[in-house]
Amino acid sequence: MAPSFQLSKSLTSARHRTGGWHSVAAVAAGGLVGSAARTGIGVWIPTPEAGFPIGVVVINLTGSLFLGFYLARRERAIGRRTSLQFWAIGMLGSFTTFSTFSVDLLQMLAAGRPLVASSYLGVSVLGGLGLALAGQRIGAAMP
Amino acid sequence: MTVIAVSIAGAAGAVCRYLISGWVQNAVRLDFPVGTLTVNLGGSLGLGLIVGTGPLDSTLILFAAGFLAGFTTFSTWMIETIRLGPRSHRTLLNLAGSLAGGLAACAVGFTLTN
Repeated sequence: MAPSFQLSKSLTSARHRTGGWHSVAAVAAGGLVGSAARTGIGVWIPTPEAGFPIGVVVINLTGSLFLGFYLARRERAIGRRTSLQFWAIGMLGSFTTFSTFSVDLLQMLAAGRPLVASSYLGVSVLGGLGLALAGQRIGAAMP
Repeated sequence: MTVIAVSIAGAAGAVCRYLISGWVQNAVRLDFPVGTLTVNLGGSLGLGLIVGTGPLDSTLILFAAGFLAGFTTFSTWMIETIRLGPRSHRTLLNLAGSLAGGLAACAVGFTLTN
């Protein structure tokens, strides 16, 4: 097992260690806040008809940045038991979205716009990976 | 459709993601984020099914923009991909598998209802 996968393993196993009702409540509360923020940004940056979904990109990239940052901070100081469920799984998990991303991609391809689709894919995935890494670095470097 | 209703649906989606991805990850016992993959592909199938029905009424919009958007996650996918390591073939598998699987799931859902 690669040591680099330890954290996501622990993130996964934490789901079961703390699988009581307080964890479910923390995920629900985080999901409520994350969904409200996503909806707010979606209204604030609307997607033009048959255009580039900038709002979804902004949401997915900032969510990845914050998740990298949060997990790096959490590694340095163990937070409260339910904070992982609230921030990482509930809030940032539901703030960002995969279903909208994949249906957007499919519709771009179906509309015969492969260049738009590949730039959407490239910006989302490379940007998401880069910003999640950057968030981790910043979180680990901060005192 | 209010922000409050979408947020409540999103909270329900987040709880379902938490329970289902945790259950799958625990059941499969692989050093690979199958839990997140499962919810992301399932949510993409669901959104494909909904979009395929044509113009949406407010209940379906609520389900799509609230529940399914909260059920699926992009940030966890990114961080779990990074945590697989830069030189692992599983990193590429998690990226390509989610992308191809998500597109395929959407297309299947769309085709079934359209």
